[in-house]
Amino acid sequence: MVVCSLVPRFQLLAALGERRALLSEPSALAPEPGRGQFLGEVSAAAEAFGVTPGMRVGEALSRCPALRLVAPDPQGAREQWSAALDALEGIGAEVESDLPGTVFFAASGLTGIHGGNLDGVLRAAGAAVPRARLGAAPSRFASYAAALHARPRRRADQRIVGVEAAAGFLGPLPVGLLRSRPELAWLPDMLERLGIRTLAALAALPAARVAERFGHPGLLAHELARGGDTPLDPRRPQEPVIERLALPDAASGPQLERALELLVGRVLARPERRGRTVRALGLSARFVAGGTWRERATLRQASADAGRIRLVLAPRLAALPAPAELLGLEVEAFGPPAHDQGKLLEDRHAGRRARLAEAVSQACQVAGPGAAMRVLDVDPGSRVPERRSVLAPYEAER
Amino acid sequence: MSAARRLSPPRPVRVEKGPEGAPETVSGEAVEAVLEDWVVEDRWWTGRPLRRRYFEVLLADGRDAVVFIDLTSGCWFAQRSA
Repeated sequence: MVVCSLVPRFQLLAALGERRALLSEPSALAPEPGRGQFLGEVSAAAEAFGVTPGMRVGEALSRCPALRLVAPDPQGAREQWSAALDALEGIGAEVESDLPGTVFFAASGLTGIHGGNLDGVLRAAGAAVPRARLGAAPSRFASYAAALHARPRRRADQRIVGVEAAAGFLGPLPVGLLRSRPELAWLPDMLERLGIRTLAALAALPAARVAERFGHPGLLAHELARGGDTPLDPRRPQEPVIERLALPDAASGPQLERALELLVGRVLARPERRGRTVRALGLSARFVAGGTWRERATLRQASADAGRIRLVLAPRLAALPAPAELLGLEVEAFGPPAHDQGKLLEDRHAGRRARLAEAVSQACQVAGPGAAMRVLDVDPGSRVPERRSVLAPYEAER
Repeated sequence: MSAARRLSPPRPVRVEKGPEGAPETVSGEAVEAVLEDWVVEDRWWTGRPLRRRYFEVLLADGRDAVVFIDLTSGCWFAQRSA
């Protein structure tokens, strides 16, 4: 069974903080400073006025003049959600979470340490993430639907869908639920135009017809509607290395740079670094007037040189849209160890290989592990063509 | 999700078949000739057996294509390097 723990409007809640009462009024996350003028998450009261996430601010205000715009707090949301994931990992769960507010984990393997049944696992998950809605079902998609239908503010804030009941539970639900999968976000509109409004109607179609019309996304949607899904891909537990520094009033220019210098020095002195270089960093700030800001910086070459790191980060301080009262620096990815050992005999091709490895490493850091791939023969003689070779992430030899 | 992925995965394709079960059109293109056909059966000892009937066909526009019908689901797919 897969368990989904869902905190609806998590980013809005994180930004509201103590002003949670605003959630019952028409309110929405304001655009992040320096980004496009589009709304973030919106409250249910705002949705009643026809305001939706991603809508232009001007259009939203014309639909709902009383709309309260809340300054976003990306750093706060990230920290709170990271703490929630840590708490779930604390009960033994291997969590998968692509979006703040939604997390999945497999219950198998946890029942033994939480009372021997699924209820025990759900109780532990509920205690780890308070206010979350919990759903359990045989697949990720069905568990998300179950969590959506768990009644909030009830003692048993959870819904369990059995293996046999999954298709029946999903059947009457609208195809719009497929929007929860980013790769299928475009599909529900098209299905609705064709008169396919429920997951049961989609599941009843022959797989061959769905495949012909919509290709692989259609087959995935068909599989989801029938209660299937792809396997979970849990995250690797992170090792947070973050340093923060409170700033005097209206710190700017040289003061900010001095603060950055201190932060870089502190991060490099952290024992968790264990001599490794730094590949990517997150620079964050909390504004005097409320709200937070966050920028990611990927170094062209992994480094443990404070001067070089400062050189990369300092220009980003100029992009701060408002006076800050707190500056933070977090290591998002480490590189190889900082000490390179020279070789006794010079290898003529070593330099080229090192440059290639560095280029691959940079590309993967920016574009993800799929940026550089190599073909690996797995079963070259197989009669099934797709089993002969796979594309695997390219790991350069150094 | 895992970064490794298979090469030459089957791609759903629209096929109209004739009375003998051989393709007559592939993605709307008429089939000039069926060059070869063969059956692949594998993993019959598992709960998810693989049963495919492959056709190598010559299309009216001169292209050579390999398509197969999944004998379990009835879906048609095109596949390269078959």
